[in-house]
Amino acid sequence: MSGQLRSELLKLRTTRTTALLLLAAVAITLLGIGVEGLSATLAELAKEERQRLLLGAGSSGAGLFATFAGLVAVTSEFRYGTIRPTLLFEPRRRVVLAAKLIAAVPLGGVFALVCMALSLGAGLAIVSARGVGLALSDGDLLALAFGAVASTVLGAMLGVAVGALIRNQVGAVLAVVAYSFLVDAVLFAAVPSVGRFLPGKAGDALAGRHVAHLLTPGQGAAVLGAWTIAFVAAAVVRTDRSDI
Amino acid sequence: MAPVLSAVGLTKRYGDVTAVSGLSFELEAGSVTGFLGPNGAGKTTTLRMLLGLAEPTDGSALLFGRRFAELERPATRVGAVLDSADLHPGRTGRDHLRVLARVARVPRSRVDEMLALVDLAGAADRRVKGYSLGMRQRLGLAAALLAGPELLVLDEPANGLDPEGMRWLRDFLRAFAAEGRTVFVSSHLLAEVAQTVERVVIVDHGRLVADAPLRELVADSSSLEDVFLELTAEPSR
Repeated sequence: MSGQLRSELLKLRTTRTTALLLLAAVAITLLGIGVEGLSATLAELAKEERQRLLLGAGSSGAGLFATFAGLVAVTSEFRYGTIRPTLLFEPRRRVVLAAKLIAAVPLGGVFALVCMALSLGAGLAIVSARGVGLALSDGDLLALAFGAVASTVLGAMLGVAVGALIRNQVGAVLAVVAYSFLVDAVLFAAVPSVGRFLPGKAGDALAGRHVAHLLTPGQGAAVLGAWTIAFVAAAVVRTDRSDI
Repeated sequence: MAPVLSAVGLTKRYGDVTAVSGLSFELEAGSVTGFLGPNGAGKTTTLRMLLGLAEPTDGSALLFGRRFAELERPATRVGAVLDSADLHPGRTGRDHLRVLARVARVPRSRVDEMLALVDLAGAADRRVKGYSLGMRQRLGLAAALLAGPELLVLDEPANGLDPEGMRWLRDFLRAFAAEGRTVFVSSHLLAEVAQTVERVVIVDHGRLVADAPLRELVADSSSLEDVFLELTAEPSR
């Protein structure tokens, strides 16, 4: 198992894919900082809710692109056929899937830490430079950082599971994009009492956002965790049964 | 001792289509055996079942007396290349081997040895997307040999090799078998096979049509091509 895990971690570091996705997460984070921090009026920026969105801006980009990174860790093996050498060296498919899921933990962790360092640092600088008081306690900041790491790690693991289910890289990426920007957003806007239980909104809650109708961070963690377990269970069934 | 490889009544059906039907044969250690058949005869499907990538509908596929997935450290027993394109274009040749070396728990020096063996030491730190087909073939072979397997399974290894590469591969396979190790190689290049293998297993429409030493099969001074075409001829022709 440890050999397979070390192999999976090396795979993530030996193509440019992971770095490019991290770069995209950083770009989205910078965009979020610009929107939430620089374009806000002073009165808006003084509000706690706005400061949460600004300082926690790293969680959106990190979550989405860590999900893609987890996804591609599986689908690229099918796209390029490397799944065959992978399984010839470790034919126990559950071991390979487990190693990819465990590798998603540091993968998501790095995405969250880089993006959160950026949004916390830039957010605090903007709040201070524009002369509005910080409405968040040290505990709030810690909760934002911890929530971002937890939601991003679960996002990367969900990505691995979805990749193992869909296998086709383009199809899987499109499914996640369509889900994130259509299903999740539309259902939450139309029927928030249901939409807030979707993985995307549960992740937002876990990341510490305070938007109306969202679950509490603890509930968000439980709901996103349950989604992850469900997708992993489905991925195990598909992985066991399907020919390569 | 269990045979190196044995298929017993191996069958694979996809819905109404039977790709492999009741295939039985064995390989003995230290031989080079050719696995021949027209396109679509079920060669690759058979290899996938032997290597645990596809589940047989019926029958069994055993390597060293066990299912492939039940082998301890399988890469030290069986090395295989099913498709020379099974490489990530954005990864370097060396990194492709390092990724697998970690699973097989072989030392890093073994990666350099294999790169030298297949004459890729100079290109090892270039990304695979810049490799020729022959270089990809050799990198795939280096991966298969990484953990020093006793059995080497190759699916159409000569595709894309130039005459020099062909001769190198032929000499390599003979030397590999001379050490008491076993080679099972599928191919449709009959002239090449006739120069390399000692035994042939021929399939057609998923069924075994011949399993014999090459010398016996072409005993009456006919060529392997004549024998092959006769065995795999459509009844109507």
